[in-house]
Amino acid sequence: MNGHEHERAMDLIFRRDVEGIGQDEGQWLESHLATCQDCAGFELAMSDAAQALRSFPVMASSSLVEATKARVHARAEQLRERDARRFLIAISFAMGMVVSAISAWAWWKVGGWMVEQFSLPTVIVGPGLVLFWLMPTVFLGMMLVAFPESRFEGSLMQLFMKDRQRGIR
Amino acid sequence: MVAAAFSTLMTMETEEAQIAQGLRRRDPEVLDALIEQYQHRLLRYLTHLTHNQATAEDLFQETWIRVLEKGHQYDGKSRFATWLMTIAHNVAIDHLRKKAPQSLDEMRDTEDAVPFEPVSTGLSPFEHAAAGEDRVRIQAALEQIAPIFREVLVLRFQEQLKLEEIAKLVGIPLATVKTRLYRGVQALRPALGGDPQ
Repeated sequence: MNGHEHERAMDLIFRRDVEGIGQDEGQWLESHLATCQDCAGFELAMSDAAQALRSFPVMASSSLVEATKARVHARAEQLRERDARRFLIAISFAMGMVVSAISAWAWWKVGGWMVEQFSLPTVIVGPGLVLFWLMPTVFLGMMLVAFPESRFEGSLMQLFMKDRQRGIR
Repeated sequence: MVAAAFSTLMTMETEEAQIAQGLRRRDPEVLDALIEQYQHRLLRYLTHLTHNQATAEDLFQETWIRVLEKGHQYDGKSRFATWLMTIAHNVAIDHLRKKAPQSLDEMRDTEDAVPFEPVSTGLSPFEHAAAGEDRVRIQAALEQIAPIFREVLVLRFQEQLKLEEIAKLVGIPLATVKTRLYRGVQALRPALGGDPQ
């Protein structure tokens, strides 16, 4: 008997219970086990180990299951709120980008018209327009610094999000 | 017979696909049903892995939270049970890494393990006592085995997972699964009344 046969026998022993083996393989294994004490001993130990492990039933208590469900539901709610917030931010960002691009183009045209109409120096009109264009952002930035985040929560933003959540459900 | 097997396979595929859809939607009803269905299997796996019931219960909850968060990653092509155990495995690994800066291979839990809650087996008092003694002996032997071997034994004999599924779940080659299975059984042999090789 060579090492290859033992290796094949081990592989078949491992696979017999769960994956299943073919009839020919089963017959070969039985004949091998009849002549090989080592493999037969291991086969017996493995089936004993399987039986022993299955004799350790661990049951989840109903309180654990209920607590888990409650935690999962609460987390699901949090995730829904987060998704709604992300959606709102994404929409706001996209709209902001579009409005910014259009207004930048429009103000640049206005600036050009002012320079032509009133013969103003471009050195003043250019930076002046950029500053004017940035004013809403600067204003919002100052508001965000001045007021804590909680002031914005529970206001218009949450109202939007709740509407969207109702739509999802 | 072939038709019956095909029908069973199709039913399973449909079921897994429905689970995948439910997880993508984060449907609370689907999650509740899954928790009910897999509660005992999951807790049993975690209890054997951590050897501490309180820790296992914490990880049980954490696993379901992660199932909720990562649910969109489940494609419904593989068995849900295997995917669930993979999540549980990762949650347990994360926990053990946080708990002690040593590898899972070296981990030996020294905390007092809470005894397992047995279910009624319908045995006589004498048989029950004998079975209880066996259980204590085997339990003690299991505690001595390194978690990496214990995990493979549990996945194979309790959860009835295929060798390939275990390899995928634990993230090791198939040959290593067989080696761990072999060594795990050999380590249990004295407790089972046989001689280790």
